[in-house]
Parts: sequence; structure tokens; C-alpha cells
Amino acid sequence: MSSLPVLVIGAGPAGLRAATDLAELNIPVVLVERRKELGGAPIRWKYHSLAPDFTPTEEVLGPMIKFCKNSSNIEVIEEAVVEGYGGSAGDFSVKIRKINGEVQDRKVAAIIVATGFEHFDATVDPRYSYGKAPNVIGINELEVMISEGKVVGHDGKIPKRVAFIFCVGSRDRSTNPWCCTVCCGVSIKQAIELKQLLNDVQIYMIYMDIRTIGLWEKLYWDSMEKYGINYIRGRVGEVFYTGEKLLVKGEDTLVRGPFEVLFDMVVLAVGIEPGEGTKQVASALKLKVNEFGFLAPKIPNIHFDSGKEGIFLAGTCVAPMSVEESIAEGSAAAMQAAKLVSRTKIIV
Amino acid sequence: MSDEEKGKHIVERKYVDDSRIIEPEKLEIGGIDVSGHWGTLVLPRTIEDFDNSMLKKVKSMPRGKNIEKCWQCGNCTAICPVAHAHPEFNPRYLIHIVKMGYSAEVEKLKDTVYFCSGCGLCSSVCPKGVDPQGVMIAMSIAFKSKKGYR
Repeated sequence: MSSLPVLVIGAGPAGLRAATDLAELNIPVVLVERRKELGGAPIRWKYHSLAPDFTPTEEVLGPMIKFCKNSSNIEVIEEAVVEGYGGSAGDFSVKIRKINGEVQDRKVAAIIVATGFEHFDATVDPRYSYGKAPNVIGINELEVMISEGKVVGHDGKIPKRVAFIFCVGSRDRSTNPWCCTVCCGVSIKQAIELKQLLNDVQIYMIYMDIRTIGLWEKLYWDSMEKYGINYIRGRVGEVFYTGEKLLVKGEDTLVRGPFEVLFDMVVLAVGIEPGEGTKQVASALKLKVNEFGFLAPKIPNIHFDSGKEGIFLAGTCVAPMSVEESIAEGSAAAMQAAKLVSRTKIIV
Repeated sequence: MSDEEKGKHIVERKYVDDSRIIEPEKLEIGGIDVSGHWGTLVLPRTIEDFDNSMLKKVKSMPRGKNIEKCWQCGNCTAICPVAHAHPEFNPRYLIHIVKMGYSAEVEKLKDTVYFCSGCGLCSSVCPKGVDPQGVMIAMSIAFKSKKGYR
């Protein structure tokens, strides 16, 4: 068996799972993370719990982070990026640059790319007044508030009426044309948590379609049936700050009725888009990128196959997906890398 | 002035609800007579607030308790024999406007609830167990128990 390690780029759910699986197979791993802490998006944006069952983020990611930090098979390089590569499957040479400028050249057998996503920056779409009006926040910011157990407006007041606006930066030709797949479920999860936190709050979900796929549908049903959360079908045209409250203009398409209603807080379900890390790794490893900016697998239905032998893909750098799917993809990519490593042994 | 006469000079008058047209019988502004159609004002049809008082009432009744389960698929209206004959009766729509508290719309359509024949076909097909027939009964009681909506 090749003694060269497998390089895992990105320490989010997919990368951590891949590193954990390989280390448990006794294959050495070099885990490179651009940021200072391990855990990826759920840790970076302090996700309180994960849909659909309100599982605490800590319970899902904690054991993997702990394992990766302590395993003798895993070498973690934080605050570093992969800058270039050469060689071929089973015998790659890669250049890893730390943020402090230090460069190391390493030999690796295989590369797993799991660079993840960024939330859509809602300042790009001016109709929601994000960044200009107070109390217009993204789901990532609300998640932090829920983690801290305190949801208040900029003036410290508890909101009485909250609107969630779905598909912000998603399914829109002026921003991103794809569906982020998880923001419906995440927004509904947050709405339920908000209702549990602030009993009297009135919550209105302004949606185009509810896409709570698979077992996530339970969230949607429970939010209506147990928590009395209201759903308005339509797309918001404008959010206007009156100096005191937020005037949300939209249409309830089920009644052909335009509405202009005042809210205390507006939460934007900001979508998923390929992050800086994904763009950087695509150019460093010369990977194919699809029309949306995500890394393009050789066959769209087989995510782990990058089309380059020895380089495997996993997680949201390929397409928007949930944490559970990312973890499964990390495992799948680890299996491909393990296969390659054991094959190297036969050849050598 | 009768409702039909109000705003009769408005182009495509039939698209404007009577209740949204204000036409003062006698009004003078700055010494200029703007009575009648000179002072016509059409109120916007914008929904400005949600009023959940009627929802609370319907929900409190035994057969109206499932109203919040409705997700507006329209299965009830699709199978409703009355809705096929009378387009003004639409159980899906009635449930939505009461649920969301569009009080002006409820005020306009509240009498259509009595079109319901009580056949119960809607309740047999509803995928969410809303029991629309029961909700219609609860609504008809709720609408009757109060003179106006507000």
C-alpha cells in the first residue's frame, strides 16, 4: 500500500468525514483548511441545529472535529490553501501555502476537494434593503441569534411580526438561477425555533415554492399544523424602511392581492453559491467548472469523479446540498481515494 | 347614490369593486365644487394588514379546528360540484382569506359560504385532513355571529 497520504482540501462536513474515514482505514491524511477552525459552514456561521430533526450541530460535527484533531493519521494544516499541483494519480506533488507565507511541497497519493460554499451576499440584490435597513437579516445571522437564545431587533426590541423571504439570491436570473435546495427547510426550522423562543411572534413565510424534499417535509407540515406559521405565495418586490418598521411589498398570488404590510423583522433565506475557496481550488487544480461556477463532475450524476484521475469531489463545491448529503459524499470520496491508494500498492 | 351609479364614468368600471369607489355627494374644496364624479376617488386594493380574529373564531369551533392545516392545493375546489356551477364559491379561496385575515375580501365574499351543499366530497379528498366541509360550516357560523368583519 502506498505510504503517501491523501490530501483533503476543506474541513467542513464532507472533508471531515472523508478525513475521518481514511484515517480509520489507517491511511494517512493531510487536511488543509483555509480558515482557522475546523467544521466548515455549520461551525463558521454557528448553526444552532440542523434540519430536519433539530439535531444540535455539535452532536453531528463535534465527534468528527475531535477525531481529526486527535488522530495520529491526520495532519491538520489550518489557514492554508493548495496553490498548485503536478504529477499523476498515486504520486501527486502539491504546493501548500500558509496564510503567513510559508510554503511546503508535499507528495500525496490522491486529492479530495471539499471546499464548500458561501451564503449569497444579499447586498447584491438591492430590493431587500439588506445592509441598508436595520432588522433585515440573513438566515445565517438569525441562526447565530437563535444559538445565543436571544432574537431582538437593532434597538433591542423583541419582534412581534417576522417575515421570512425565500429564494433570496436563488432561482432568479439577475442573481443565481439555481435552487439552493436547503433554505426552505432551514428557514422553516428557524421559524419553528423562533416560535418556541418567542411565543407571541407572528411568522409569515413568503415563498415561491416550498421545496422541503424527502423527510424534511415533516418540518413544513409541523410548522403549519403545530406552530401556526403562515405561508404567503409570492415574491417580494421591495422592502422599505419606514424609520420604525419594515414595509414589505409583495403579492399573494393565491388571491391576486398585492400587499404592503409592516413587519418588525425580515429574514432573508440567502442561498448557496460557490465560495472563494472553490474558485481558488478550481484554478489551482485546473478543475472543470460548470455554467453555475460549481465544480463539474465528469458525469453529473456521479459527484465524486472530477474527470481527473486521483482527484475526487465532495460536498457543496459540486452542487448545493444539505449537511447529511455532504457527509455521505465525503464518505464516498474517501472510498474512491482508499481504492486508489490500495491499487497503488499492487502497481508498485 | 346607488352602487351602480358610483363612478360610472370610470373606464372598465366593472373591474373596480363598488366598495372601493368614493364619490362625495357634496364636496367643495377651495370654493370649487367637486361633488359627484368630480371628486371620485378609487381606493387601492392593497392588503395592508393581516387580521387573525376570524381565524381564531373558526379555529375555536369543533369542525373548524383543522383550518390551519390547509396548504392551498385546491383539491377541495377541484372536486366541489357547487364550485363547478358557481365560480363565486371557492372553498380553497375562502379558507385562505380567512386564514390570512384579508378582512376586506372576507367581507366581500362571506355570503358565498352558504353555497356549500355539505356533500362532504372535499373532506374525502383533502390530503391534509383539513375537513373543508366542516370548515365551511364553522365559517358560516362565525360569519353570522358577527355583523361586520371588524
